[in-house]
Amino acid sequence: MTYIATFYSHFGAMHFKKQCEARKMTARIMPVPRDLSSSCGTCVRYEGEEPCPSDTWSDEVEQAVEVTAQGYRTVYRAENS
Amino acid sequence: MGLKKGKTEILVAGLVIGIIAALLVLFGNPVNMGFCIACFLRDTAGALGLHQAANVQYIRPEIIGLVLGSFLLATFRKEFSPKGGSAPLTRFVLGFFVMIGCLMFLGCPFRMILRLAGGDLNAVFGMVGFVCGILLGVFFLTKGYSLKRTYQLPALEGRLLPIIQVVLLVLLIAAPVFIHFTEAGGGPGALHAPIIISLAAGLIVGALAQKTRLCMVGGIRDVVLFREWKLLIGFVAIFVSALVCNLIFTAATDGTYFTLGFAGQPVAHTDGLWNALGMLLTGFGCVLLGGCPLRQLVLSGEGNTDSAITVIGLVAGAAFAHNFGLASSGEGPTANGKIAVVIGIVVVALIACFNTFRKDTAKA
Repeated sequence: MTYIATFYSHFGAMHFKKQCEARKMTARIMPVPRDLSSSCGTCVRYEGEEPCPSDTWSDEVEQAVEVTAQGYRTVYRAENS
Repeated sequence: MGLKKGKTEILVAGLVIGIIAALLVLFGNPVNMGFCIACFLRDTAGALGLHQAANVQYIRPEIIGLVLGSFLLATFRKEFSPKGGSAPLTRFVLGFFVMIGCLMFLGCPFRMILRLAGGDLNAVFGMVGFVCGILLGVFFLTKGYSLKRTYQLPALEGRLLPIIQVVLLVLLIAAPVFIHFTEAGGGPGALHAPIIISLAAGLIVGALAQKTRLCMVGGIRDVVLFREWKLLIGFVAIFVSALVCNLIFTAATDGTYFTLGFAGQPVAHTDGLWNALGMLLTGFGCVLLGGCPLRQLVLSGEGNTDSAITVIGLVAGAAFAHNFGLASSGEGPTANGKIAVVIGIVVVALIACFNTFRKDTAKA
């Protein structure tokens, strides 16, 4: 499955990418796609069986979506975001 | 998904925005100032009596239009999202010093492009400083810089800045005696396109910038961070279309809209070092804020109160700049302005360091 996670900071994205790579998941940092959000921050696009590459979602993650043929399906959203 | 479509969209948006900026000059705005977020916020601050520089006082409808254009499109697209709480006072201070940098150079990053498109080579020094400032900011981004997360807020919070713009529009049209307007022939504040044209231009550009996320800082930042050229395409498109329009207008009318050189450029000075340092401060501060002044207005329209606080910081910076002789003029930078820019670079660097390397947070 392909997922995209968005973050509150660029560094949060860098850290998340390292977590993905530690679990042998393909991941790359890129600008947030316009059709996902109007914000212009950094996201990580990654491949994996599970959407979360660690035991719990990091505080830096704003949301994570699964990329499907129909569009994006939200799998995580930070509280009050 | 849709990367090519996105690039085409931002290319077309940039071309349209460049044409609109050139047309605004044709209709009455100062030369090379179809748009300038810094100058226009400064003029609006003057109109409200926040500074007493009589030559730069006018409620600029372009600013009103930019915020409302973004607000209306974001609402229509269901992207209006009231949020905030990410280091608001830090953003105020950053906005304040970004304005100090802009008024040293005499223009925001948007006007820097328009000055280049008008043949003003002083803006080349500004561009060099701007890129250096962005690189400084990117260094801190990659080392862990963060102003922490935003939080969802009540809808009214996000709507307040757009509401304030409506109030400003009423004040502009009603023109009560307590609002200051530069008298005819009294300076750049007296040079403006008709209200309806300026407002329409702002609405269109605000909507286009909301749709495409156009950002003068983001373009260079994304190339450095991701080798992603999309946002920079908009930046280049504005330059190209404004340049072509300026050349056509110069050939087809009695006016002069393109003059290649350094001396005698409209609302500009020739001190290369301080043009560069002013824009270095601006670029550095804008990366830490997450976007240029135009982007801050657009985000404010989308309901981002952190950006609204930044806009208020920009206005405060403009008022200080003119009340304390920090702003440059066509004759060059002032001693006070040079000191303020140096202080600004130090303060912005301290903010960057504090929010990058100090990881402990206050305990409840």
